[in-house]
Parts: sequence; C-alpha cells; structure tokens
Amino acid sequence: MKRYLAHPWLTIRVQLALGAIFVIAAIPKIADPPSFAHMIYNYRLVPASLINISALVMPWVELLAGLALILGVWKAAARNVIGILLAIFIIAISINLFRDNAIDCGCFNVADRGKTHEQRIFDMKVDVVRDLGMLLMAAQLWWAGRREQDAIP
Amino acid sequence: MKQNTIFQVVAIIAAGIILALVANAFASRDRKVSLVGTYPNALKVPARETAVASAPVPSVTQTVATTTQPATITLPPTATTATQPTATAAIETVGLNPAAKTPAAPAPTTTTTLHAQPPTREFTVHPDKPYIEIAFNDVKSLHDKNVLFLDARRTSVYEQGHIAGARTYSVWESDIDDKVQKLFAERSDTAAQNLPIVIYCSGGDCEDSHMLAQKLWGIQFNNVYVYKDGFPDWQQHGAPVHTGANP
Repeated sequence: MKRYLAHPWLTIRVQLALGAIFVIAAIPKIADPPSFAHMIYNYRLVPASLINISALVMPWVELLAGLALILGVWKAAARNVIGILLAIFIIAISINLFRDNAIDCGCFNVADRGKTHEQRIFDMKVDVVRDLGMLLMAAQLWWAGRREQDAIP
Repeated sequence: MKQNTIFQVVAIIAAGIILALVANAFASRDRKVSLVGTYPNALKVPARETAVASAPVPSVTQTVATTTQPATITLPPTATTATQPTATAAIETVGLNPAAKTPAAPAPTTTTTLHAQPPTREFTVHPDKPYIEIAFNDVKSLHDKNVLFLDARRTSVYEQGHIAGARTYSVWESDIDDKVQKLFAERSDTAAQNLPIVIYCSGGDCEDSHMLAQKLWGIQFNNVYVYKDGFPDWQQHGAPVHTGANP
C-alpha cells in the first residue's frame, strides 16, 4: 500500500492537479483584489490593517506555489506553502462554521453570489471537506518526497 | 524542513509580495486597494439578521401613524461636535480640510411616475449615531428632494445600474478616502454637513453602506441614512435607475 501511495505515476498526477487547482484559484483573486479583500474581511479573523495586504499577497503566493508544482521546481517548498495555506483555510472556515458566521469562502470566486445563510453554511462544510482532500494530496506529495529521499543511498 | 526548503519557501513568499505590490501599483483605479485598510468591525462577527431585527424601530412606526404630510428636511441652526466619537484611523487619513469652500450639493435631476407613500420621519441631524436605517418610502422621499445619494458598491457594479443621481463611493477601492475628503471639501460648513445623505449597497447582509456611513460620521456628517434594503429593493419598486459611470 505504501509503495502504491508513493508511486511516481500517482505522485506526478497529484502534483499537477494540486498545482493547477492553486493556479486556477489564484487568478480571480489577482484580477480583483478589492473583492478578495471583502471576502477576507467577511471571515472576521484578520485584523483590519492586514486585510488588504493579505488580499494582495496571498493570491500571488498561491499562483507561484501552484506554478512551481506544475513545473516541478522547488517542489518541496511549493508543497509546504500549499499545505500551510490549506491548513489556514480549513481552520478559518471551521472557526466561522462554529460561530455560525455564514460566508462565501472566496476560494475560487470572489463575486458575491447572494446566497442564503443556509446555503452558505452548507457550502462552507463542502469547502472544508474539499480542502481536507487537497491537504491529503499535499500529504501524498510529502510522503512520496520523503520515500524518494530515503531511497537515495 | 531542510534549510534549502526553508529558503525556497521564503523566496516564494517574497516573490509573491513583490509581484503583489507591483501589480497593485499598476492596477486600474477600481482594482487597486490601499495597502492598509481600515475596517472598524474587522474582528466583530455580525449578528445574524432575523425578521424581527429588520422591522422598523418603534419610533418610526409611531411616526407613520401620525405623518400625513411629506416630511421636511429640518436642519438645526447649530450642530455640536462634542458628542462626536474619536475618529478611526481611516477617518484620520481623510483629514479635515480647514479651507472652507463653497458647498456644492449635488442635484441629480430625476423624473419619476412613482407614487411613493408618505415618508415616515423627519430627517433631522443625529450626531449621537453614525446612521439611521431607512426603508424605501423615506429613501424615495429624500431622492425626490435631490438629496445626495452615495453608492457604496463596487464601481463595476455601480456602472451596471445605480439609483439615478447617486455617486460611486466603494469602500473597497483605494480612492475612497480621496472621495470622502472631496465630499468634506464640498460640504465644509456645518449647515452643508447637516444636509441628509443617503448611502446604499446591495441590501441583505451588505455592510458597505454602513462602513461608509461610519467614515462620514467621523468627519462631522451627522445626518447620514442607510437604505437598508439597498439597490435590489429600489429596482423592485421600479424607481429611476441609471447605468454607466455617470450619476
């Protein structure tokens, strides 16, 4: 089982998929920083002075990390950055689920979709599950990378 | 994490910061954000709206029963700033222009065939609170009196359709403080500052109009009203709408 989980066939596909997801997620945020700042504000977790700078920087970090995974350069660093970002997203959404603060996650789209409270809460749960899935993908890359290093004499 | 990996992680983040700053520097006006924003309720979870919460306040209801004439916009001769709260950092950045200039109240001329019901209140100054939420009838009454309307939604949304005569004042765009400063310069004397201003956004849980109202309150605008149900409600009533970049 461990051998299959760290198999290069699987690893390269996970690497490309995770990289592509982050590139796709970054583009709308880069295109419209004010809307993404609004999304971050809605989380009610980031101090006011850090909202805009987070909205500016985070999408570019996502884009660079995603591109690095796709291109196969600085794979370990890109995987770690993505893992940290995913952990932050999961924690942030979970806190707001716990607080019953219904928000649009702003993960792939920064437009206000005019959803109801219940629709948003449901979507947030889906987002947490999806992010956990992506975190597992990052874990697979970490596992494969570690086995690859161990195999080097 | 190996030292080499740590260096690469730092390099990715540093490159992200540089690219973000460069992109923001060259972004168009409505895509640009100020590096440090000021949002008073950034860490405050909003209370969930209920049907009860959206009901009008008792004093309004009482006035409805007694009001038969169109409301008049009354301005007290003096307006004290003693009760004005300490301005937030955002408001401080706007600054107070000591140079008095001729107030230029905008006069968006609109014609309408609507027959709105009588307004429910007198629009007197309220220096103790940043804004009062009002509904369509009051908003329409103020619109008919050519009161200044500010649209707090994004400029791109404003251009798709806005209340006729409204100006775009998106709180999320980088030029909001400049616009507020310009408004203060237009209405630098107390009498002009006490004229009613109506702010709206998208209704529902949209807070942009409330945030803008807070900014205006911090620089002595003591007669600000928030159109609670916002632009969708205005459209539903068939009230006059303009499209494009101009009011």
